[in-house]
Amino acid sequence: MNFEQFQNQSRLYVIGALEAEELEEFEEARKKFGKKAEDFISKSYALHEAFALSLRPAKSSDAIKERLMAMVKAKKQS
Amino acid sequence: MTQDRPENDYDNALSGWFSGRSPVAEADDLLQEIFMEIWNQAKNFSEQKGKPLGWMVTLARRRAIDGLRKKQAYARAEERLQNETEQQPDAWVHNATEEEIVLGDTRVLIRKVISSLPPAQQQAIDLAFFRGMSQREIAAKTNTPLGTVKTRLELGLKKIYDGLKDLKDEL
Repeated sequence: MNFEQFQNQSRLYVIGALEAEELEEFEEARKKFGKKAEDFISKSYALHEAFALSLRPAKSSDAIKERLMAMVKAKKQS
Repeated sequence: MTQDRPENDYDNALSGWFSGRSPVAEADDLLQEIFMEIWNQAKNFSEQKGKPLGWMVTLARRRAIDGLRKKQAYARAEERLQNETEQQPDAWVHNATEEEIVLGDTRVLIRKVISSLPPAQQQAIDLAFFRGMSQREIAAKTNTPLGTVKTRLELGLKKIYDGLKDLKDEL
């Protein structure tokens, strides 16, 4: 696998779309390319942020906030 | 990231993830679990590994897909969820801060990049990322050869990735 192919696989990897048989080959290439590979994988995680931002924002319900803050408060007191 | 206020401004982005995809009560429960996990795991966050939103989305996605799979195992919820693709039209209206304005600009530009993809690539990415489907599952669901699915995903993700690089230069 050359580095361009590794880049393509990395983008599939970060969104969990690699098939099991591709994973093995990917991990081998990841070792082969070392730090360069790790840097590219880290950058590829920016795709997650992009997908989240591509969605229309929605307000979470007040009920969630109340429940959540009650749980946080209880945890802080314990 | 403040641990005192886990439902900070990022909750809009995370809430947007679930709106229109699950019944409201289930989405609320899941979102609450995710916020708690973020709050509990905040000490493990490292800025060196990326931005807070990316980290939160990774956590949220993992939890959401776990939840989805559990549900599918019991009730074949997949079909129902896939029919519920409409997003909530009403954005949360409140006083905009500078950060929110930048986030809003980023959102518009990212949507522009994604909407420029051919529909088949958008669909493949949606099924892979938001529904956690494997390439084989996507091929079966869309009645498309596996190689074509792989190509669509690779091309689509590359375009988005390249678009993000351009976007960073613009902002």
